[in-house]
Amino acid sequence: MIRAELNKRSPLRVFEKSIHGGLGKGNIGVIASRHGIGKTACLVHMATDKLFRDEHVIHISFSQNVNHVIAWYEDIFKEISTKRELEAAMDVHDNIIKNRVIMNFSQDNISVEQIIRSLKTMIEDGGFKADSIFFDGYKMTTVEHDAVERLKEFAKNMDVELWFSVSPVLDGVDFDEYGVPETLANIEDVVDVLIGMKYDGEEIVMTVVKDHGEANPSQMAIKLDPKTMLISRL
Amino acid sequence: MAEFTNMRNIGISAHIDSGKTTLSERILYYCNRIHSIHEVRGKDGVGATMDSMELEKERGITIASAATNVTWKGVDINIIDTPGHVDFTIEVERSLRVLDGAILVLCSVGGVQSQSITVDRQMKRYNVPRVAFINKCDRTGADPFKVTSQLRDKLGHNAVMMQIPIGLEDRLEGVVDLITMKAVYFDGPSGDDVRYEEIPAELQDLAEEKREVMLDAISMFSDELMEAMLEGEISEEMIHEAVRIGTLSLDLTPVYMGSAYKNKGVQSLMDAVLKYLPNPTEVENIALDLDADEAEIKVSAGNEKKTVSLAFKLEDGQYGQLTYIRIYQGKIKKGDELYNTRSRKKFKVGRLIKMHASSMEDILEAGSGDIAALFGVDCASGDTFCHPSLNYSMTSMFVPNPVITLAIDPIDKKAADSMAKALNRFTKEDPTFRTYVDPESNQTIVQGMGELHLEVYIERMKREYGAEVETGQPQVAYREAISKRAEFNYTHKKQTGGSGQYARVAGFIEPNEEENYEFVNKIKGGSIPNEYIPSCDKGFQSAMVKGTLIGFPIVNVRASINDGQYHAVDSSDQAFQTASLNAFRDAYTRAKPIILEPIMKVNVEGPTEFQGNIFASINQRRGIIISSAEDGMFCTVEADVPLSEMFGYSTILRSLTQGKAEYTMEVNKYGKVPQSVSEELKKAYEDKRKAESSKK
Repeated sequence: MIRAELNKRSPLRVFEKSIHGGLGKGNIGVIASRHGIGKTACLVHMATDKLFRDEHVIHISFSQNVNHVIAWYEDIFKEISTKRELEAAMDVHDNIIKNRVIMNFSQDNISVEQIIRSLKTMIEDGGFKADSIFFDGYKMTTVEHDAVERLKEFAKNMDVELWFSVSPVLDGVDFDEYGVPETLANIEDVVDVLIGMKYDGEEIVMTVVKDHGEANPSQMAIKLDPKTMLISRL
Repeated sequence: MAEFTNMRNIGISAHIDSGKTTLSERILYYCNRIHSIHEVRGKDGVGATMDSMELEKERGITIASAATNVTWKGVDINIIDTPGHVDFTIEVERSLRVLDGAILVLCSVGGVQSQSITVDRQMKRYNVPRVAFINKCDRTGADPFKVTSQLRDKLGHNAVMMQIPIGLEDRLEGVVDLITMKAVYFDGPSGDDVRYEEIPAELQDLAEEKREVMLDAISMFSDELMEAMLEGEISEEMIHEAVRIGTLSLDLTPVYMGSAYKNKGVQSLMDAVLKYLPNPTEVENIALDLDADEAEIKVSAGNEKKTVSLAFKLEDGQYGQLTYIRIYQGKIKKGDELYNTRSRKKFKVGRLIKMHASSMEDILEAGSGDIAALFGVDCASGDTFCHPSLNYSMTSMFVPNPVITLAIDPIDKKAADSMAKALNRFTKEDPTFRTYVDPESNQTIVQGMGELHLEVYIERMKREYGAEVETGQPQVAYREAISKRAEFNYTHKKQTGGSGQYARVAGFIEPNEEENYEFVNKIKGGSIPNEYIPSCDKGFQSAMVKGTLIGFPIVNVRASINDGQYHAVDSSDQAFQTASLNAFRDAYTRAKPIILEPIMKVNVEGPTEFQGNIFASINQRRGIIISSAEDGMFCTVEADVPLSEMFGYSTILRSLTQGKAEYTMEVNKYGKVPQSVSEELKKAYEDKRKAESSKK
């Protein structure tokens, strides 16, 4: 399969359809669930899909080193290219990797100002015109409302879309029927798209809980395949 | 000869400026090998003893690995001092090959930096067990706890603190030993007197907490210790044994700390070297049997066995060439006959010596596991010396191809002679440093791994050999390659008196990712006779030496022949070679040739406030930022940058960051040159050729 065909058939097209054609620049999207459901895989697949379409992506992690993030991207790329029998896979790989930057913040309690400052530096001084930024594991449930607002302002100013994967920081948090932790309620009004992920005993169900202001939860026609860790059609 | 159990071969490996040389100096002092202490950049102008070369003294860096022998509490320790800059990694790698264990020195302020990561990766490759020493605990901002967690997080070590500091920065007094649960102080002007006291009351809780952490971590390695912990009866021996098992299997890195400069903590570190790093019998070494298709043979310590030894370092001494060897098996005696399996020459062992930092001691014999030096042996670095009945080679070390070239011109006749001598020496010492004379320009060209690598040799030439040379602009070692398949069908015909020449070859060339060159013979029915097939192969290879785009070697080609024609009288080896060469050149232009350039993996580290400048500097150099990691005040940026854009980067980076950032780089891959650069290169080559032909 060639790259264009692969893009056309990507399950992410279904994903976008379920949220009115995509998140859109200047907006904030959140994927929420319990720990260990597969949010990182989901995020990396979404980012890889953007890369396949020649978009520029920044991936932000908050762990100790970036190697495991790179490994995630390699695995997801390999799964996709094998599954779809992608032609000239190595060339495609080398081409799209140029459009990805991984930024890692290993300091505890890093402020939102610091993150925004570094991102601006990367985009302006680093000459990296990002289309979307993926925050893997940002502590959305404990940050101030104001911090998320500032992130949104940044997204608007820089003309990027921001995706976050979110799990509760504290133990003993309740989750709703879609897998969204209740501690997210504080900032829900700033979030444009909210997707909940939940294991229902058989598969990982993905639900659009909020879609650009509309709060009318509906199950998506895609799921996360726990074997390949890829998003796939139902 | 020392007993095997009373012998250690260790290296001291670290980031530049983490105080490695000062530490070596202190070790020599405490082991009574030197009688006074000099600083690396000391006021007395004497310099540290391990830095044997002038240049190193001046720059405060260590370039060559000098082996030196010391004795600590009755144990013979050979210390290999290893270079700290990444441009000299071949030296580091070669030293690692002969080490059994290492001290990993880290700065308590700078922590794990990019060079530590490179060196650590190399140590893993050679399975070198290590103990860590967090140095410079007397500096402002010292934080050994942070550095220990960096060892875990950044390098993936199971790092466990064996000590905690008593005071830090300018109040550093000593350390608490978590095994004996005693405070250790180092008294006297040079810290010679080690005094054990009760733990200061304010550190008691922390010490107990950290001891628990340590015991938890090491109990994994000993069932006996685990049981003892449950019963609450732990002996020091049990702890030592568990730490030793963990360290030897590379599953544990015991962490020590102190300040070599302030004479604190060095003796405890030496005790750890004795206790936890392996003796020569505990390390497996493999040789290749050259008589049995390079079959792997285990060599093991044993003085009665047949000798196998490796020449790992050459030095030009006052009395001629000094060859450092590591004996893996058997022993070497003065007067013995040895066989150099590379040059296939036998030689007699003349003077055999043990090296101390700046003096040498004549010895009569050296046994398995030991490191010694030979005088006056004609050999190259990496040669294996065996008993004459053996034909082994110690596993060949990975030698990367040079990526940068520089033309050098001696200023006068005298300099030319000395330069030749120096080059002869350097190329023997360092396989990544190469030299040749360009047949076209008649200039001497040197090749190496980076700008600094070559600069150091140019300076050494001047200082050690009095050879002054003028240098040209450093040049990148480009490559040419093809991007699509192209057919050829070429007839070479010449009939101008005498015997004629006739050959026709047909086939195709295509890109070949796996190998640099492959020749495939698909001739059926003898259209080219068997005797001329190797001529075709040769012809193709000679075409690949120099591409027609910009005159650099062509790589990654598969050349196949499937048809041809010969003439009973006029065909010859030469005719087929010429036909193949021209056939290749003819097809080459149609195979969409491209230019490849070395892409470096660059790692820049500096304070976060300069992040923007660092990003911008990479961006301006056609670099691709792979990742950027922030950790408090420091950031690390990893990027792929073409080597051609990296010239002079150290100066630029320094000025961009007030000298607070530094970088390392190593070759990552060869990548396609962008169209605009490719056009420039082609034009430059064209101009050069025109200029040369008009000269003629």
